Amino acid sequence: MMGLERALIELLLHFITREDLNAFLRSPQHTATLVGCLIAVCGALLGTFLLLRGLSLTSDAISHTVLLGIVLAFMLMTGAGLEGDTASPWLIVGAAAAGVGTVALTEALQRSGLVRQDAALGLAFPLLFAIAVILVSRFVDDVHLDDDAVLVGEIGLAWANTNSHCFARCESLRIRPEDPAAQQTRHCVNCRELNISPRDERAEFIEVCGNCGVYTPAQAWSAGLLDEAPALVFFPKSITVMLALTALTAGFVALFYKELKLTAFDAALAKSLGFRPVALTYALMILVSLVAVGAFDAVGSILVVAFFIIPPATAYLLTDRLSGMLLLGPILGGAGAFFGYDLARGWLFGIFPLAEGIAALNRLFGLQLPEAWDSSISASVVLTMFVIFLLAWILSPRYGLVASGLRRANSRRRFEDQVVLAHIHNHQDTPSQAIELRAATLHQHFRWTPQKMSRVLMRLRALGFVSLEAGSAVLTERGDAHVHAFRNHMLVAHNIPDIDPTQS
Amino acid sequence: MAQRRVWLMIVALVALGVGLLPLSQAFLGLRLTYTVRVVALGGALLGALSGALGCFAVLRRESLLGDALSHAALPGVAIGFLLAGRQLGALLVGAGIASWLGLRLVAAILQTTRLKQDAALGIVLASFFAAGIALLTYIQSLPDASQAGLDSFIFGQAAAIIQSDIALLGGVGLAVVVALALFWKEFKLLTFDADFASASGLRSGLVGALLSTLIVITIVLGLQLAGVILMVGMLIAPAIAARQWTHSLEQMVALAAALGAFAGGSGAVISALDSDIPTGPMIIVVAFALVALSITLAPGRGMLWQQQRQRENRRHLRSRRVESGA
Repeated sequence: MMGLERALIELLLHFITREDLNAFLRSPQHTATLVGCLIAVCGALLGTFLLLRGLSLTSDAISHTVLLGIVLAFMLMTGAGLEGDTASPWLIVGAAAAGVGTVALTEALQRSGLVRQDAALGLAFPLLFAIAVILVSRFVDDVHLDDDAVLVGEIGLAWANTNSHCFARCESLRIRPEDPAAQQTRHCVNCRELNISPRDERAEFIEVCGNCGVYTPAQAWSAGLLDEAPALVFFPKSITVMLALTALTAGFVALFYKELKLTAFDAALAKSLGFRPVALTYALMILVSLVAVGAFDAVGSILVVAFFIIPPATAYLLTDRLSGMLLLGPILGGAGAFFGYDLARGWLFGIFPLAEGIAALNRLFGLQLPEAWDSSISASVVLTMFVIFLLAWILSPRYGLVASGLRRANSRRRFEDQVVLAHIHNHQDTPSQAIELRAATLHQHFRWTPQKMSRVLMRLRALGFVSLEAGSAVLTERGDAHVHAFRNHMLVAHNIPDIDPTQS
Repeated sequence: MAQRRVWLMIVALVALGVGLLPLSQAFLGLRLTYTVRVVALGGALLGALSGALGCFAVLRRESLLGDALSHAALPGVAIGFLLAGRQLGALLVGAGIASWLGLRLVAAILQTTRLKQDAALGIVLASFFAAGIALLTYIQSLPDASQAGLDSFIFGQAAAIIQSDIALLGGVGLAVVVALALFWKEFKLLTFDADFASASGLRSGLVGALLSTLIVITIVLGLQLAGVILMVGMLIAPAIAARQWTHSLEQMVALAAALGAFAGGSGAVISALDSDIPTGPMIIVVAFALVALSITLAPGRGMLWQQQRQRENRRHLRSRRVESGA
C-alpha cells in the first residue's frame, strides 16, 4: 500500500509542486470531497447492478453487518496485542467475511422455504447489528468505535490521518543518551508497584533519556529536532484506500461487464449459458462489503447505504442504457459529494443559504434557533444526493413527473379530439344531424361540461378540422381526411377488414 | 389438536415470562429495582404490540417497510425537539408525522417511477436518516443543554423509560387492540387477497392506510426502547416465529404478541443483569433465538420435521420402486 502511495505521489509531483500538493491535501474540504467522490464512484458502479437485480436493500444489510465483522476483528486484534486500527487488512478480511456471512444466512433462511426474502433480510441484519452493538458496549473501549463513528463517520477529519512520504533529506534521526539534544527526565521506578504518587517520600528515581530513540524524518521535523525541513508529503490514508477500492471495483465491472449485464437482465439465461450467476453474486457482495468497510471511517456504517442506492436510482430515471447508468451514477454521486460539503457549511448547491431559511423559520414560529448551520458532512452529502434524486424525479426528460404529466395531458387532448371528430363523422349527412351536431348542445352527447366542449371545439377549429355552419359542427375537408387516415390506420393496426358503410 | 397446542404455548409463555422474575432474583442475583420493573414491563408491552402488528407486515411482504419507516422517524424527533423542546409527546408526534411522510414518499415513488420497492425503501431510509443525523448534529451545536440524550432514539435507551411512558404504551396499546378487533375482517381480507378485497367493495386504500398507520404508531412508540435501527427486528421477528406454529391468522397474532412480550420482558431482565449490555439489542437477540427455535422445531413446518418427511418419502419411494421392479 505504501509503495503504491509513493508511486502515485511521484507521478503527481511531475505535475504539481510539493508545497501545492501538501496545501491541497491539508484542506479538509479537498480531502473530504475527494474521498466522498471515490466512495460515490464505487457505490454507484456496484449499486447499479444491485438495483437492476432488485437487491438494493442487501447493501443495507451488508453495511450493518460489516460492523460486526469490524468489531470481531478489532476484538481479536486487541486480544492478540496488536494495535487496533480501522484501516488494518485484518479488519477488511473480517468485514468481507461478515458480508458474505449475511448473504449466506439470508439465502439459507430463504432456501428453507419458511421465511420469505424480505423477511429473511429483515431478520438477519438487525440480529447481527444487535450483536455488534452488544459487543461494542460490553467489550470494546476505544475511540475508533464509538456510537458517533458507527453512525456518521469522520469524513471531515480524513485529511488529518496521513502517511508521510519523504523525498529529500530523509535521514532518519537517532538520539542517544550522550547526544547534546537528549533530554534527561526523572522516572519513578517503584511508584506503580507501591501504588504511591511520585511526591511520596518512599519514591525512588532514576535518570532516563526522555526523547531517545529513532525518529522518522516526519517525526523528527515535528519534534523540532531538525534545522532544515525534509521534503515531506503527507498523504491521507482514506484517499489511498478508496483509490485502491475504486480501481478494484472498476476493474471488476470492466472485466465481467458482459456477465454482469446478462445476469442483471436474465439470470436464468446466464445460468443456462454456463456463466454461474451465483458466483458472480457472491463476488459482487464481497466487493460491496469491501467498499462498506473502506468507507466506514469516512461515512459510518449506515449512511454508506445511500451511496449504493440513491445515485443509481437517480440514473435509472434518466437513462435506459446500462452503460449510461454506469456513467451517470458515479457522476451524480460525485456531484452529491461535491455539493454536500457546501450543504454541511450551510449552502445548498453553493447558491442558496440555509441561514435565511432558519431565519424565516424563527420569524414564523417565534423560535430562537441559531442561524449558523454547521452540520455533519456525510449526512449532508446524502441529503444532497436525495435533492438531486428529487430533481431527476420531477424533471427527467422521459420519466419525470413533469414530462409524464405533459404526456398524459397530451394524450387526453388527442383522445378528446378523436372522439369528437368520430361523433361528427358518424352523424354528418344522416337524418339525426340537426340534433346530434348542434354546437350549443353537443356537450350533452358526451356528458361533458359545456366549458370542456367549447374548449375542444375551439381547438379543433383552430386546427382546421371542424367548422361551424348554421350552429352545427361540420367536418372540413381536412378534418374528413384526418378521420379517414386515423380510421385506416387503426383498422390496419388491429388487422380488421374495412366495412365502412359510407364507402361501399 | 393444533388449535389447542398454540393456545397452550401462549399460556406457557406468559407463565414462563411471569415466573422469570422471581427465578432470576433467586438464582442470578437480579436486583428488582424500580427501573428494572418499569423497563421489563415496557419491553413486554411493546413486544406484544409490535408482535401483533408485525404479523400483518410479514404476511403482506412488507417486512422491510418497518425498517424504512423507523429510520424515517428520526428527523421528526429532531424537528419536534426544535419546535417544542424536550417533551416526549412532541417528539413522538414529530416522529409519527415524519414516518408517515416516509410511507407516503415510498408509495409515491412506487406509483410514479419505474423504481422497485427495494430501491424506493432504500432511498427513503437513507435520506430521511441523513436528514435526522444532520438535524441532530445541528441541535448539538445549540447552546441549550437539554438536548442531551436525544440521540438515544438511534440505538434506543430503555433506562430512560418512566412510569408515565408505561401508561402511554398501555393506552395506545389498548387503542390498537380495539382498532384490530373492529377492523379484523377487513385487515384479514386485505392481507391475504388485496385484489379480491377491492373487487368486493372494500376501500382497500383506506384500510391499508389505517393498517400502516397502526404500524407507524407502534414503531414510534418502540423507538425509545429499541431505537430506529433495531426496531424492524422487534416488529417482524415475533411474527416470523409465530408463523411457523400455525396456519390461522388469529392464532398467529396472539402467539406473536405472546412471543414479543416474552422477548421484550426477558431481554430487559437479562440486560439488567449486566450494566454493559444494552437493552434494545438484547431484546433483538432473544427474539431471534425464538425464531431459530421455531424454524427448527415447529411441528409440520420446522426443519427437523421437513427432514423427517423427506426421509419417509425416500423410503416410501424406494419400496415402491422395489414393488414395481418385481
